[in-house]
Amino acid sequence: MSQTLTELCAPALVRGDLIEQDLVTFGGRGGAPFLAPDPQRLIPLLPLKDPSRLEDIQTLPFEEIVAYLAELGSALELERNPHLQQALEASEQFSDMTAPLVRSSFEQLPALFAPELVREVADSTIGIDHLEGWVPRRMSDRRTASVRAFGARAVHIIAGNSPLIAALSIVRNAIARSDAIIKTPSNDPLTALAIARTMAEMAPDHPITRHLSVAYWKGGDTEIESLLYQPANVEKIIAWGGFASVTHVLRYVQPGLELISLDPKRSATIIGPEAFDSEDALREVAVRAATDVGALNQLGCVNARVIYCASGTDAPGVERANRLGQAVYDALIALPEHVSTAAKRFDPELRAGIEALRSSPDWYRVIGGSEGEGAVIVSQLDDPVDFHRSLSGRVANIVPIDDPLDALHAMNAYTQTVGVYPDSLKERLRDLAPLHGAQRLVSLGYAADPSVALPQDAIEPVRRMVKWIVDESCDLRETRPLWDR
Amino acid sequence: MSVTVDARQFADSPAAYFGHSWHAMHHMPADELETLQLAALQMRFEELRDAIPTLAAMVDEQGIGALAGLDDVVPLLFQHSVYKSYPASLLFKSRFADLTRWLDRLTTHDLSSLDVSGCGTVDEWLDVLDEQTELRVAHSSGTTGTMSFLPRSLREWDLMFEAARCGMFQFSDPTGAGGAHDGEYFELIWPLYRHGRSAIMRMPEMGMKHLLGSEERLHVLRPGRMSSDAMLMAARLRAAAARGEVDQLEVSPALRERRAEFEREQQEMAGSLPRFINEVAQELAGRRIWLLATWNVLYGLAEAALDNGLEQVFAPDSLVTTGGGAKGQQVPDDWEETVKRFTGVSRIQHAYVMSEITALNKLCEEGRYHFEPWIIPFVLDPEDGSPLPRDGEHVGRCAVFDLVAATYWGGFISGDEVSLSFDGCACGRTTPHAARRIERYSEKEGGDDKITCVASEDAHRAALEFLTGELD
Repeated sequence: MSQTLTELCAPALVRGDLIEQDLVTFGGRGGAPFLAPDPQRLIPLLPLKDPSRLEDIQTLPFEEIVAYLAELGSALELERNPHLQQALEASEQFSDMTAPLVRSSFEQLPALFAPELVREVADSTIGIDHLEGWVPRRMSDRRTASVRAFGARAVHIIAGNSPLIAALSIVRNAIARSDAIIKTPSNDPLTALAIARTMAEMAPDHPITRHLSVAYWKGGDTEIESLLYQPANVEKIIAWGGFASVTHVLRYVQPGLELISLDPKRSATIIGPEAFDSEDALREVAVRAATDVGALNQLGCVNARVIYCASGTDAPGVERANRLGQAVYDALIALPEHVSTAAKRFDPELRAGIEALRSSPDWYRVIGGSEGEGAVIVSQLDDPVDFHRSLSGRVANIVPIDDPLDALHAMNAYTQTVGVYPDSLKERLRDLAPLHGAQRLVSLGYAADPSVALPQDAIEPVRRMVKWIVDESCDLRETRPLWDR
Repeated sequence: MSVTVDARQFADSPAAYFGHSWHAMHHMPADELETLQLAALQMRFEELRDAIPTLAAMVDEQGIGALAGLDDVVPLLFQHSVYKSYPASLLFKSRFADLTRWLDRLTTHDLSSLDVSGCGTVDEWLDVLDEQTELRVAHSSGTTGTMSFLPRSLREWDLMFEAARCGMFQFSDPTGAGGAHDGEYFELIWPLYRHGRSAIMRMPEMGMKHLLGSEERLHVLRPGRMSSDAMLMAARLRAAAARGEVDQLEVSPALRERRAEFEREQQEMAGSLPRFINEVAQELAGRRIWLLATWNVLYGLAEAALDNGLEQVFAPDSLVTTGGGAKGQQVPDDWEETVKRFTGVSRIQHAYVMSEITALNKLCEEGRYHFEPWIIPFVLDPEDGSPLPRDGEHVGRCAVFDLVAATYWGGFISGDEVSLSFDGCACGRTTPHAARRIERYSEKEGGDDKITCVASEDAHRAALEFLTGELD
């Protein structure tokens, strides 16, 4: 067994060239080790030392980028892509997801590269005109200012809870006409690599291929990272995920090196009293809520965990919440395999916490959970369980409240997505929830299926990935000069 | 004598059963001990299965009618979080009647008629429990922002220290030749508060009769009480700070009213540890003392005393006990030597302690923690919780059944990873023993916001500052 484990290898890809020598062993998350090039030797190869070498990608017509990505998208069809097939096969050893979910994520990859979506992302996040050339504007003092978006040199420290993050980073980098060094995580060292290898085979000399590198090193290794994270090498760091990884990167931030932080987040759910209007409504709400809980096996920050439900907090209200709990549990178990499965590993600490709640039936009703299949905990009072920040493995906590607005108190800067039912309640909440920290409101059931063309975590990461360059033309006759004031 | 009669005497007073000899406790043939433990376990199960509501519910759910072997109890062991399975908001909203009702499900003592309507804070609630019941609840340090409450009663506390007394002679009477050491006591140097309700803070009060003999042998740094509310606030502050939510911490009106008390407690904290140890060392020079603290406190005390030229101060049959491990800190190589040089003892006693059980499991000459015989240890598969075989050595989650517990359920699953052996130890003792390295699973999984022993003093100070500042 250990033989096959150590054979897993994650080579690096540096600007189209595969590097698979000087391999050293890294301990994967959960202990599965893998081989990757020695970072001591690899890191010096990664930076694009001369920023003027961005010229080749900067001069690419936007439609050529679209065409490139479209071709890449079709090359990423799982059935005909050996690199993705290999990554899928190896995912058993490193991924937090089960194989059916990795497979269905891989099957969604080509859609991310489709021309309509690429154009939508480019246009809504940066503006295609700003990518294609200088956009002039007459200012109030009558000067003409032209603005254009330029690419930058960036390191993307990506998260591994979904393979789509690797693909999205590559799409964004191409659109932004930038140079990306993707630092892969130990729980997904292969997806970004598989895409990059596909690019190298498809168009080895294309500027988009030559402006992508994919490498693994242990995040937090200051000896290595301090060589790379310098303004001379990179201008931006896009850091996804874990609290430790984001706070760690802060030490490198300095003038000339900007951090775009996609912080660790949690999400919440608010269900209005309309859920109890009819049996049909209850069933629909249950399926929607179960999907928000179970999709991506609850590994995402977008997933529902604590579900506030305006059932009322008196005895009949709590009983309504219990009915919803049972319905959500039933729907969760019935989710199809490509959406959700039982978790690969059910956190034993969480299991212990859930078991302990069974001893407090006055306060908590626990539905399911004994087989690690997922569970619904229904609070019998208007507070979530104290370990609500550790809910994972398809475990939701339904909390009865009297008024949907009571749930606002539970929101803070860590609240990314708020799934809401019905949409009319969303309209009531949307002017208030952001003041408490919430960043995205979405119809219940769609939390785990965000549009990638929209702002993320209350910022516009793609807009920040590019450099906004200004060219001002001032005519002496029109704009009065300083020396003449 | 029949096994049943033996089992009752063994579990109802381990110290008396073994003739007050720690040596005898650890030299009974292993198979005999296991037979005795099984009989005692069956006895506790029969006594408690209907008397503790939470246990009764578990027995029903699992459909367990009888325990044929030791492993049969594993599905009935409580998760360590059972003792904090109440909603945290009950504490912060001062819903002490509800908390009492919750606690009532975990003990044989009837709390249903207890009137806690006047209680606004944890300290007041525990005052009522202390005054009106046999319970002397031990709470945890509240590291996660909430506290566990273990409903131990006077009976178990008494048996605990009667038995703990036997182990006090581990080094001064290694073969047990000295019998019960009647009339021999220790001067306790206690670099903490005199009063308090955490498991450790209960020690002076509960252990006095057996270990010290009388109040005169107790030498405390701080004569007052360590407030349980302040401890809880310390933990909540830390948890809130970690989440950037300090602004949202609310202080209940009942706590606000106690401002003067917190200020007194805060002043007591300014009491100087170096001055204390120097005074106590001079007063107790040549006497038989007991010093019990974590390594960092012992080291600090020893360094302060040595700076003052105090060396080899106490009687050689004194005892210095430590537990709790390094807690992620860098431990200086010479800390034990430094403590020995100051105190004059030739060895330091190390104990594996959990606040949920009545035993201080001591380290032997071979570097193994031996479980006291009234503790049945289990090692569980860390993923699925099933018991690993009771022979050879296995690494897994430590679980225990404490046979002394007669009014609460003694079985619980810890958060610790241990390497536990059921085979005889090279030291000659027959009891199961664990390797010295013990880790918490929660820390292995990437860390939690547990307060370490060193930080807890700071955290407590910060809480008092917050409380007194907030109340301006």
